Amino acid sequence: MRLLLVEDHVPLADELLAGLNRQGYAVDWLADGRDAVYQGSSEPYDLIILDLGLPGLPGLEVLAQWRAGGLGTPVLILTARDSWAERIEGLKAGADDYLTKPFHPEELHLRIQALLRRSHGQVNQPTLKAAGLHLDEGRQCVIRDGADIQLTAAEFRLLRYFMLHPQQILSKSHLAEHLYDGETERDSNVLEVHVNHLRRKLGKSVIETRRGQGYLFGGQAQ
Amino acid sequence: MRSIQRRLSLGLISVMVVVGLVLAQTSLWLFEMGLQRYLEAGLRNDSENLLVALVRGPQGLQLDERHLSPAYQRPFSGHYFRIDFADSHWRSRSLWDQQLPQLEHPGLSNLQLGPEGQQLLVLRTDYRRLGQSISISVAQDYTPVRESFLRMQQVGLGLGLAGLLLILLLQRLTVRRALRPLEKAREQIAQLQQGQRSQLDDQVPVELEPLVAQINHLLAHTEDSLKRSRNALGNLGHALKTPLAVLLSLASSEQLDAHPQLRKVLKAQLEQVQQRLNRELNRARLSGDALPGALFDCDAELPGLLATLNMIHGEHLDLSYRCPPGLQLPRDREDVLELLGNLLDNACKWADAEVRLSVSETAQGFELSVEDDGPGIPEGRRDQVVSRGTRLDEQTDGHGLGLGIVRDIVDNWGGVLRLEESEWGGLKVAIELPKR
Repeated sequence: MRLLLVEDHVPLADELLAGLNRQGYAVDWLADGRDAVYQGSSEPYDLIILDLGLPGLPGLEVLAQWRAGGLGTPVLILTARDSWAERIEGLKAGADDYLTKPFHPEELHLRIQALLRRSHGQVNQPTLKAAGLHLDEGRQCVIRDGADIQLTAAEFRLLRYFMLHPQQILSKSHLAEHLYDGETERDSNVLEVHVNHLRRKLGKSVIETRRGQGYLFGGQAQ
Repeated sequence: MRSIQRRLSLGLISVMVVVGLVLAQTSLWLFEMGLQRYLEAGLRNDSENLLVALVRGPQGLQLDERHLSPAYQRPFSGHYFRIDFADSHWRSRSLWDQQLPQLEHPGLSNLQLGPEGQQLLVLRTDYRRLGQSISISVAQDYTPVRESFLRMQQVGLGLGLAGLLLILLLQRLTVRRALRPLEKAREQIAQLQQGQRSQLDDQVPVELEPLVAQINHLLAHTEDSLKRSRNALGNLGHALKTPLAVLLSLASSEQLDAHPQLRKVLKAQLEQVQQRLNRELNRARLSGDALPGALFDCDAELPGLLATLNMIHGEHLDLSYRCPPGLQLPRDREDVLELLGNLLDNACKWADAEVRLSVSETAQGFELSVEDDGPGIPEGRRDQVVSRGTRLDEQTDGHGLGLGIVRDIVDNWGGVLRLEESEWGGLKVAIELPKR
């Protein structure tokens, strides 16, 4: 999952980056509203966390420009302005969720998970489920038939992305774009290694390889 | 205070009555004086005729009957005379058995005579004739003149009264017309109170202009300062809450895993700061009754609010509202949103599937209620949830129900908050708001 964090308060951004990285998200960080307008619509993010009080351009304006440009990425607004009038304004501008500062880091993580599930059509589920697998995002492990299977951080990231996109052909470059932030070097061999690890742990049939196209997750389950 | 109209009427009546009476009386008096002077000329003429009629006869002076007017012969004809000599006096026949007393001084005077009660105008003139001092008094009946004066007075009084009534009526009309802008301003202020307008119309007469301008200025100023202070509070909140978010995040970081006690204290203290900050900032943001023109348009605002809540709590909740079309609450928009937002948010947290907001207008004011189908609160514990903590630090965030700010808003409006059981067995929060 690749996220964009737009937050101008550096210490908070540092904290959030550290926390989100621990949760297995690849995060790009911006502090200026004008940069956010451009980068938010040019890079393939899965979710955007947007602060409203931004230098350069106010957060609501940034959001309005994204939505006017047809950007459908889910946006979670992070703000200290917590009056209901402002919340309604934010959601009218096209936000998908609203979290007020200060917040517990776990609260943010839960909201992000819920928002990602919702935006991928998995409504009303407390956890991520696909192809008979059950992903515990808190403990970063997967449960199959009641048995825990431990995952490394990289495997967790990859599996989560697959589980949010079941029965979709995902190319290596697409996976690389969504699993690594803008500064990490993308090596498709590393991806192959992680896919093999997952197959070893979950069974060969879970992830199919479509030659020349990419990978297909959960194709056998149906 | 008595109305301006009444005061003007009273003042006008008293001035008109005093001036009218003085004027009428003076003119009557002047007229009478003029008339008497005219009659005096006639009497003097009569007196001189009598003097001419006095001729030397065989027994001294005698009156030449041929020169006498026949009116002096007919009894009580209204014309009389009396001629005084040094030792005797003659009277006209018309006096009959009455005496015409001699005036003490020569000149004009009024007298009352005899059984007929005639008012006489008497003129005494002194002469010397044929070596004798003669004093001739001639009199004329003045009663018809008197009577016509009386009639004139009555007619004048009647006319004066009618005129007064007419003037009062016209004055009332004029004053009402002149005061119409005041009446309009009064109506507009009433509309302002009911929230039907936010400014007074500034197309008013010069006299009212400063008043209206000042009121409008005050309204604009209040609105502006409310906006500014809300903005400042927002900035303050932003400035405090962002670092607080950093601290909260740090308190749960791995670096503190080795010091669970420290982490616990940190988290507890930070939470307290956060709750207190939220509560006080929210409370400071309330406008209360500061703005008379505030209005909450249910039809325009409620769908947005419910959509927001649905987005936050998920689509599985069925949020609905019941509200008569076109209903407007005469309260500040942000305050109402804050109140309903918190109530509904709270209901959504506890509800299984359904939350309903009802707004209705009652005879006393407005009634808002939020119902959910959650577990509800047992009757014995409801008071505890609503009651105000006695100590300041006991006033936590509405005992975890988000009711703290709700209670602040309701108190601010002078409303009443009740907890009841909803029709689905969950909690129903009912709020009664007085009209303004």
